[in-house]
Amino acid sequence: MAEKTADKIKYRILKFLDVTGFAVFDPIVRLAFREEPKKQMEAISKYLIIPIIFVTLCVGLWWKVAPNHKTKSGEVPTPDVVMESARINHTFSVREKYKESDFLLVGEARLQALADVEAEMASQELILSVLDAKLQKEEAAYKTQLDSRLAPLLNEMDALRAKNKETAGAHKMEIAELAVQFEAKQVSGDDLLALIRAENADKDARRDMETIVKDKIKAIRSEKYKSLEAVRLEVNAVADNVQFLKKRVDFLTSANRSLKVGGAIEKFEASQQAFAAAKTAKAAITQAKHVIRNEASIERLEEQKYASAMTVYMQIKRSLFTVFVGFIIAAVIAIPVGILCGLNRIAMACLTPLISIFKPVSPVVWLLIFQIVVGAFFPDPGSHPFFLFFDRLPWVGQLGINPALIFSACTVAMCAVWPALVNTALGVASIDKDHINVARVLKLGFFDRLTKIIIPSALPLVFAGLRISLGVGWMVLIAAEALSSSDGLGKFVWDEYQNGSSYSFANILYACFVVGGIGFLLDRMMIVLQRFVSFDEANTSL
Amino acid sequence: MSYLEIDNASIGFGPNNNRTEVLTDVNLSVNENEFVAIVGFSGAGKSTLISLLAGLVQPDKGEIRIGGNVIKEPSPRLGIMFQNYSLLPWLTVSQNVALAVKQVFPKYSKAELQEHVEKYVGMVSLLPALDKTPAELSGGMRQRASLARTLAMQPEVLLLDEPLSALDALTRAVIQDEIIRIWEDDKRTIVMITNDVDEAVLMADRIVPLTMGPSATLDHAFPVNLPRPRNRTTLNTNRDFRRLRNDISKYMVNLNEEAKALNTTEVVVDLPDLMPLDFTTVPYMPAKRRRRQQLAKILDRETTFFN
Repeated sequence: MAEKTADKIKYRILKFLDVTGFAVFDPIVRLAFREEPKKQMEAISKYLIIPIIFVTLCVGLWWKVAPNHKTKSGEVPTPDVVMESARINHTFSVREKYKESDFLLVGEARLQALADVEAEMASQELILSVLDAKLQKEEAAYKTQLDSRLAPLLNEMDALRAKNKETAGAHKMEIAELAVQFEAKQVSGDDLLALIRAENADKDARRDMETIVKDKIKAIRSEKYKSLEAVRLEVNAVADNVQFLKKRVDFLTSANRSLKVGGAIEKFEASQQAFAAAKTAKAAITQAKHVIRNEASIERLEEQKYASAMTVYMQIKRSLFTVFVGFIIAAVIAIPVGILCGLNRIAMACLTPLISIFKPVSPVVWLLIFQIVVGAFFPDPGSHPFFLFFDRLPWVGQLGINPALIFSACTVAMCAVWPALVNTALGVASIDKDHINVARVLKLGFFDRLTKIIIPSALPLVFAGLRISLGVGWMVLIAAEALSSSDGLGKFVWDEYQNGSSYSFANILYACFVVGGIGFLLDRMMIVLQRFVSFDEANTSL
Repeated sequence: MSYLEIDNASIGFGPNNNRTEVLTDVNLSVNENEFVAIVGFSGAGKSTLISLLAGLVQPDKGEIRIGGNVIKEPSPRLGIMFQNYSLLPWLTVSQNVALAVKQVFPKYSKAELQEHVEKYVGMVSLLPALDKTPAELSGGMRQRASLARTLAMQPEVLLLDEPLSALDALTRAVIQDEIIRIWEDDKRTIVMITNDVDEAVLMADRIVPLTMGPSATLDHAFPVNLPRPRNRTTLNTNRDFRRLRNDISKYMVNLNEEAKALNTTEVVVDLPDLMPLDFTTVPYMPAKRRRRQQLAKILDRETTFFN
């Protein structure tokens, strides 16, 4: 009995792996259930270990080659730097969360948090002071060793310069003498030319000698002093943390929402009293205005939300939302139109020119077109009821729906609609003739024919099309966001490219992996859906 | 007045300058509750003929009538069972049958529908596979499911288009018996297309050969007067059966001139009855050579295998 349940679990896991397209891990599961261990080990080593070694080699190659290429944004980052940038991005988003919760804290909890933060800050500052001392020591050590190494070279340089100057003066005099002789027609012009040529060559040689020494000095100066670098990093990290804690203190005190509201209420009460005490008509009007203004400011402060900076996770969320909006628009257009095209040859003939012309158009062109078109619909997006409506929605509101999102989604839809449309039309048009005959013999009505025969029969191909569409949509979206500065992963990449900090390049590579990973997951999701609707158990490609 | 009639029907495909006449001047009349088998070579136009009968295609000339009315379009009254099952692969067996039943009996309640479906699926002994999809069934089971779907429509005429051609010999025998049993229980008109003369003789009341295409037509019928129920095991020794089978085979071979030129004698000759040798009587000998000699001796004595 126990064995049977184990088998059941095993086959359930295997089925899951099969459906999700992770059949590579099949032997591991089988091995865990002790099924033909020798065979499984062989399969694991062939299809799992060798690929892992290969990928490791690729990463190793990257690690080795990357530092050799110097760019204007620094060296090409190695995998560890990319990992570090992932960590930094994560820390940043965690800190944003802290700040937000601090901003909203009220009463006792706020005081408690404030006490905690201040205690932590004190300890961090202590550490910082110790580290600062260490840093100064290291810097001094660095300076002395640098000086000791540079001193001989600098001396050499000075000597060389002096010597070269002397030689240059001597040569100049020689030339002048020869020129005088030339004037007196004692020597030919050729001699003078030869001498000047020789002097020029000598000048280059002298400069080269200087350059060699200069390069040596430069090399020593640019050499990284590892212990100093390490301390510097430590200091930076702690200083960063202290900065963050200071900000938190800010959000727990002066910038805290409840305190701001409290201040506003005090002001409001004061103005009320002033209004009550007002004697003259003129004073009453002024005070009444104050009361109303203060009332409004209380309301505004109470509703205030924490204005979080865009973290990479928020960018991911927004990109995913945009791509799904675009994808759904595409599917809603593509499936009915595709069915129509598949059913009716006239419709197909009508749409073929449109499909053929618009399918190859670059997403960039669509983006610009939609930017203009959508922009015209929302001349004042800040107060447009369409956007105000979305802002009030619980989850969607955080994403900041704006025209940029709308036209990015439209661009995605425009580019994603074609594969789905063409595949749907193909699926509908290539229904088995026998199935059509069955429908004819049964005298199925149009609706029944559509829902019972045509759609189920075309569904696998429809989903294959949707899968391609989603893939295309995701790719297009990143480009669209980068170009249109619509928040999202594309903008993240673009901002990093523009701001050029020491981690920019690493952040771009990090975003590259994030985009790739999410694209992979989306594709897998579609594969699973496709597997669920396909009746012929057809294998889906990678 | 016969029930199902083909009256001088002709049909062809292709444009005028490159036209293939598939069937020319086909005449056939089938009585009510009669079992007619149409035999013909592959490519003769058998499937076109059944499509004509089902109303899936219209004749260029002539007409097809059922009970005096011209067939203009397919309908559930003419239950056709397609050569390659034509089950909808995304539906289970019961859903496939129910889809047909719902069309024919739209007023059925859920329970009645279920009952009706189960009755016919049971009739073809497929109840255990009620909730399986066609992909999970064997060829024979799919064919039976297809038969159940056709029968469940309770058609007046059953049109079977090579219903057994895709099956192995054993399954074929089982389903032949099934069709005959159902036909005997629940009499109706059947037109079956087949390329197997034995099968036709075993099952039908009348056998109509289809001449070679193009421009194929139906020739005179061979009535089958064998008593029912016909037992396939004893039928082989029945003289009438053998004669009829030979007659039809000979006729069919004569139709096919190429076949005639190639091997007239071989096909028409009635094969001799063979008696297999019983090798188990040969005693087991450890020495291979001696055993071989022993076998050779036995075989030598019986150079001819005929009794």
